[in-house]
Amino acid sequence: MIRTALQILVMFSVAILLAALQATSPPYAMLTGPIRTTGQQRETVSSQTFSVKVRRVLKAKTIGFAQFGKRSQLQTSGVWMVVSAEVQAFQETMPVRAATLVGSSGRLYRQSRRAGAAANILSAKVVQPGLPTTGIFVFELPDDETGDMKLILSEQYDPQLKDEISVSLEANGMIAQNELEIGKDGV
Amino acid sequence: MIRNKGKTWLTRLVAGAGGLLAAALSLGYSLYEQRESDLVRQVQANTSLEAGRWKVLVTGSRVSASTPDGLQISKGKRAILVNMILENISAESSNLYGTLIRIANMPDVPRPQYYLVRDRAILWDLQPRMPELVVAVWEFPETSQLPDVLKLQVEGERFKPRDNLYSAPGWFPAGAVATMSLPLKRDIADRAP
Repeated sequence: MIRTALQILVMFSVAILLAALQATSPPYAMLTGPIRTTGQQRETVSSQTFSVKVRRVLKAKTIGFAQFGKRSQLQTSGVWMVVSAEVQAFQETMPVRAATLVGSSGRLYRQSRRAGAAANILSAKVVQPGLPTTGIFVFELPDDETGDMKLILSEQYDPQLKDEISVSLEANGMIAQNELEIGKDGV
Repeated sequence: MIRNKGKTWLTRLVAGAGGLLAAALSLGYSLYEQRESDLVRQVQANTSLEAGRWKVLVTGSRVSASTPDGLQISKGKRAILVNMILENISAESSNLYGTLIRIANMPDVPRPQYYLVRDRAILWDLQPRMPELVVAVWEFPETSQLPDVLKLQVEGERFKPRDNLYSAPGWFPAGAVATMSLPLKRDIADRAP
């Protein structure tokens, strides 16, 4: 009788142990996720493979740029955010294709392909080690998302076991204007 | 002895009844599922629909010889244009709206190309919480018969915080959300096939 009770007890405790192990084991997607580095806007944020220094954060209702020799102006139902930054690669030639702005609600806004033809877009460039490269990232988001933002950069979108840098942007460091002209040298 | 016999009989009865009950439940459930999948909501045009990742409001459709960016469609083809207001209600920019709307009453339907009305250009990502006027364009050979009333089916998606393979978050197909019929206006005259 005692033996049966003991057996049941052992079985239950083993089941509970296994369930706990299963519930706490990190998923594959997390294990192979990005290697995160975080920092502030005023400092240069460095990871193992690249670093970023955010220079200016601009907010505008419309943006204009030259496209195929013709001037094009883009409107939005929200606002345009243009971030100019300097990127350095440490180990090898690499692009920084993925730029995402995390809005104040936590939603992820990838850089806008509508402004993809503007000059000096950083994600269209290739960064050579030892040569600091400057450029801009253009985002489109609702106005109420621009309070407390984070810029996330990586080589590609959804990096796996690669560096990802997150920079908190200062709300008071933002320059707001009605119309922003993106010239040959960016903003 | 008699008591034992009664017990055996009772066991058999319980086992048989259980089996029958299980079979009946299984049959009933599969019938219910079949019925549920056949029942797709019929809606009017200009109804706001939520389909998982997207919120869509279809406003009208027409046949045209040019795309919304002003270019002519190549010779021997014509296009069905469907106007709609599309909003990304997920937490992330996305361009995976290609399978959202399906033409249900035509054979061999190609993949649509979406255009942004604001820019008169091809639509890329839609940003969350920013509804836009967009046009979906399906190109058909001129010889194919176009119906007078277009039947559209809106396909839903379901978010899983952990999928079954990598336990990563993702969106997965969740069957039809609604169907609608809308008149197909003609900008260009039908040519004899």
